[in-house]
Amino acid sequence: MGSYVIRRLLRTLLVMIGISVVVFAFVRSIPGDPATALLGERATPAAAAALREQLGLNKPWFINFGNLGNPLDAQYPRYVAGLLQGDLGSGLKSNIPVRDELASRFPATAELSIAALLFALLIGLPAGIIAALRRNSAWDNLATTVSLVGVSMPVFWLGLLLSYFFAVRLGWLPPSARLGNETVLEPVTGFYVLDGLLRGQPAAAWDAVRHLILPAIALGSIPLAIIARITRSSLLDVLGQDYVRTARAKGLSARSVTLKHALRNAMLPVVTVIGLQAGALLGGAVLTETIFSWPGLGSWVYDAISLRDYPVIQGGVIFAALVVSVVNLLVDLSYATLDPRIQYR
Amino acid sequence: MKKLLLTALLTTLPTAGAATLVYGANGDPVSLEPGNITDGISILVQHQIYDTLVAFKDGTTDTEPGLATKWTSNANATQWTFTLRQGVKFHDGTAFNADAVVYNFSRWWDPKHPQGFRNQGRTFEIWGQLLGGYKGDATSVVKNIVKVNNTTVRFDLNKSSSVFPEVIGAGYFGIASPTAIKKDGAKYGTPASKPIGTGPFIFQSWRTGDRVTLTPNKTYWGTKAKVDGLIIRAIKDSSQRLNELKAGTIDFTSDLTPDALRSVQADRNLTAVKKPSFNVGFLSLNNRNQYIKNDKVREAISMAINRKAIVDAFWNGLGISNASFLPPVLAWANSKNVPATYRFDPAAAKKMLADAGYPNGFSIDLWYMPVSRPYFPTPKPIAEAIAADLSAIGIKVNLKTEDWAKYLESRNKEPGFDMYMIGWTGDYGDPDNFYGAYYGPTASDDINWNPAELQRLLEQGRAAVGRTAKARVYGQLHEITYKANYRLPMVHSQPLAAARTYVRGWVPSPLGSEAFNNISLVGKR
Repeated sequence: MGSYVIRRLLRTLLVMIGISVVVFAFVRSIPGDPATALLGERATPAAAAALREQLGLNKPWFINFGNLGNPLDAQYPRYVAGLLQGDLGSGLKSNIPVRDELASRFPATAELSIAALLFALLIGLPAGIIAALRRNSAWDNLATTVSLVGVSMPVFWLGLLLSYFFAVRLGWLPPSARLGNETVLEPVTGFYVLDGLLRGQPAAAWDAVRHLILPAIALGSIPLAIIARITRSSLLDVLGQDYVRTARAKGLSARSVTLKHALRNAMLPVVTVIGLQAGALLGGAVLTETIFSWPGLGSWVYDAISLRDYPVIQGGVIFAALVVSVVNLLVDLSYATLDPRIQYR
Repeated sequence: MKKLLLTALLTTLPTAGAATLVYGANGDPVSLEPGNITDGISILVQHQIYDTLVAFKDGTTDTEPGLATKWTSNANATQWTFTLRQGVKFHDGTAFNADAVVYNFSRWWDPKHPQGFRNQGRTFEIWGQLLGGYKGDATSVVKNIVKVNNTTVRFDLNKSSSVFPEVIGAGYFGIASPTAIKKDGAKYGTPASKPIGTGPFIFQSWRTGDRVTLTPNKTYWGTKAKVDGLIIRAIKDSSQRLNELKAGTIDFTSDLTPDALRSVQADRNLTAVKKPSFNVGFLSLNNRNQYIKNDKVREAISMAINRKAIVDAFWNGLGISNASFLPPVLAWANSKNVPATYRFDPAAAKKMLADAGYPNGFSIDLWYMPVSRPYFPTPKPIAEAIAADLSAIGIKVNLKTEDWAKYLESRNKEPGFDMYMIGWTGDYGDPDNFYGAYYGPTASDDINWNPAELQRLLEQGRAAVGRTAKARVYGQLHEITYKANYRLPMVHSQPLAAARTYVRGWVPSPLGSEAFNNISLVGKR
């Protein structure tokens, strides 16, 4: 198990190096350069060329083949040299270190993603189980319909609808942001609910929870639908297996058969889907974060793409890839807990 | 009962402080370092923290004293002397004086300034663009910056510039504390620093992507802020900004889409604010295209477009269509020989096309921008309406678009776009800022038409002193560009803003943003 984890971590490192090269080349291959994007309507050829030079974007990408030039006087070697010292660069125009932005924005996205996943699990799992146990009943139809709506409703539309209904019409919840205008909370971990408790400010923690509810519902709607569908089909599959019939024949209660025997085995594909959803949540957070003014990774990288802010895109994508790799490693390791027959060597 | 309980449970937090003013901005500032930004939100935040030497009267583009109490030039406007306000202090307690002014301007102008941080991402490109370049450049407007005494600074210029005070009054050029810049170094202007100016509000904190928090400057030299605090929140989505306004979690906002006007007007808690127009949305026609190089074709295109109908349909009463490249506030510089509006006459346009040798029309590309801009809030449907008008006279229009950054780049690369939508929002209140941007020596090479006469007039305009003299020069420019039909003004839009009814004293500036020290909150709960 230990050697397996080490091998996986080494492989993750190789994947990260590969991703850094691919992302580095890819962002520079997108038509339209940062100088033009930054200048906007002011982007005359001369102004863009001057700014490009000032930003060091006129240097070769990977190797400097120029006469008598230092071959490493190129953009990628400089970037890697910075990476090795923990420097991910700075926003091209803002000069804000990417590392600082990651430190403040990742907890925001993680908090929202966890809340969305919790919402999806709390509703999706029971809905899937009930749908499977009451197959073709009204409950099953209801769960199927809700799943379909969840998958097919655009997140931005759902977000605005939730905000309008619960914030503007009912006044129950705030329309957007992570904290109210009046709440002052000095971050500790960047997870505001936790920080409120750590700082001894329960009102602030409660404020953070209230601000989490609507975006978590919007972001969690698609995972909820997928989890409910997978749980239903997986459980139906397992419930038809011989060992379940045997368990029933032995006289075990329906509850015991379902929860102890069937559900545990049905969870393997569900856990896989949850792992995949970790990546999807990071991606889906772009829209949710924009609609709900949530200062997370998604909206930050999205803005950087439209501005061609290379250091931000690189830092954001590499970091997101790292998070997805680690989550998938954890998911793989959890298989062994769920199914003792699986062993990692 | 359940609903009541739920409502009580969910709304147990204290409400916002009675006098905390909350503005909903359409995004995050890029930087809080003066001279190194061009985006509207950075300028808006900087207006609260910093003052400029030259200010603008509320709601106008007319200059008034800022940190300089008066300014004079020599006869040919090549030397400007500014007398500085006395007794002003920066938020860090250091004195505002001639040394501070020279320090700030030198950072922007001199590429070798020790605290210019050029090797750490600073570009100060707006200085180069508005003032011809940097120290050492042959094109630089500024030749020298001189401290005459503790309260007087002189700018020696390489060429006449009657508009120099307006340029350095633009929101880009707030005066920062030299001590603070030296202390924070290259971090200055980022959230890890403390931006220090002399303005009506003092910086407290900046959570990127979320909010900037400020407190009133109790010792401000001008009108002191009437609120206990100011929060500028980043809310990118305009529908969500409207939701926040309706919910009362922000007090006022700008940059709403024109279709939000009805919703704002229908809410008795809100007031719609039509900001003064200081932009132009126009069509550019490329002389490299074989059809467009024909004068009659361009005139036919202009006559075929029903600008009024398009503006009525897509700007919801928040746009003006006239025959000038200049927004209404600069109408004094228009020629009286040019009609107030463009002629719309499809029959005459069709005949003119036939006279040009194209009785059956032709096919042409029309590029529309992929992003919403204040002057073209919904580019695609507007482009479709233009295409429909042109098809009525036989011109088949192929609608095209591409990514915004690529769009801005492609228009300047040969062969460029046949015809494309673009616009401009002004920086300072002078016609040079509009004509110069699209007809000047460093303008985009997108229409392949730039006669020497235009350059001569632009030079004259920059040197002309007083409105009468300027109006004479820019009137000629207006006539030439109107007849040429290479850039066809479509609209001067009025960005839609809105406020809760208890917000008083907000006078939006045509220049995009203003300090909020005149605003009071009457009866905010």
